[in-house]
Amino acid sequence: MSWALHRVDDRLIHGQVVVAWGHQLRPRRIWVVDDASAANDWERDLLADAAPGVEVKVVPLEEGIRIHADEAVAEGAALLLVRDLRTAVALVEGGAIIPALNLGGLHYAPGRSRVNDYVYLDEDDRARCRRLLELGVRLEVQDVPATRSRPLLEIDPAIART
Amino acid sequence: MSRVPALLVMHSDLGQALLRAATAVYGPIEEVEVLSNEGLSRDDLEHRIAEKVAGWTHGGLLLTDFWGGSCYLTGVSATRGHGDIVVLTGLNLPTLLDYLHNRDQYGPLDLADRLQRKGRESIRLHHGQPA
Repeated sequence: MSWALHRVDDRLIHGQVVVAWGHQLRPRRIWVVDDASAANDWERDLLADAAPGVEVKVVPLEEGIRIHADEAVAEGAALLLVRDLRTAVALVEGGAIIPALNLGGLHYAPGRSRVNDYVYLDEDDRARCRRLLELGVRLEVQDVPATRSRPLLEIDPAIART
Repeated sequence: MSRVPALLVMHSDLGQALLRAATAVYGPIEEVEVLSNEGLSRDDLEHRIAEKVAGWTHGGLLLTDFWGGSCYLTGVSATRGHGDIVVLTGLNLPTLLDYLHNRDQYGPLDLADRLQRKGRESIRLHHGQPA
């Protein structure tokens, strides 16, 4: 069972993950792969307490790569969250097998342009998306399960241009 | 006893709607601020909360909608190190009304304890009777 969702979301754990995806996928574990959070005891504890009834593991990128294959065959569903596309690319280049990546929240920042209400990308992000596509990862834009998943290429044709 | 300030941090327009409903029951409300997380990254929301509570020299209450949501998590992060600011989550209308009636009577910590108790008590069940 295990990996039920790999998601890029700059909020990491939050309501859409805990309530909407949590209700749909019933994860036993949520893996937050994030160097900054993993290095901060306080942040790690905060995230660990943020998903009622679910075990939350906050680990650095290196450990995320290391555990990925074992977790893929573990009992029960698991979610994986990263806060940015840089980490997602590093995970896949490090050997994690991720068939599809959910883009669930990359909010506005200077230099980013709008893809939809909850996904904004800059040129570095688009280059990372192209890299993920080259590596065979499907990129799907969807905030919650009740909305339709759409391929990133369909709503952001600029990704296809190099 | 100085008045305990409050900031509602909630999804979408729930905070404004709750405040509007409270106004209908309580009357005109002053000195309660509202912040929506809509369209904001966690960093942006944290920054805005920090700005709002910066002037709370005697503490206050951050009232959020649900445990595990970004409003709650970001509120906890933004108020870290402010011992007299309490984050209370799961806010409903009866709890907000109780805050309004008692914000001049208690300090932030005691008021937060009271609101947690009142919020729990406010959820009641009534089973329909057989015809």
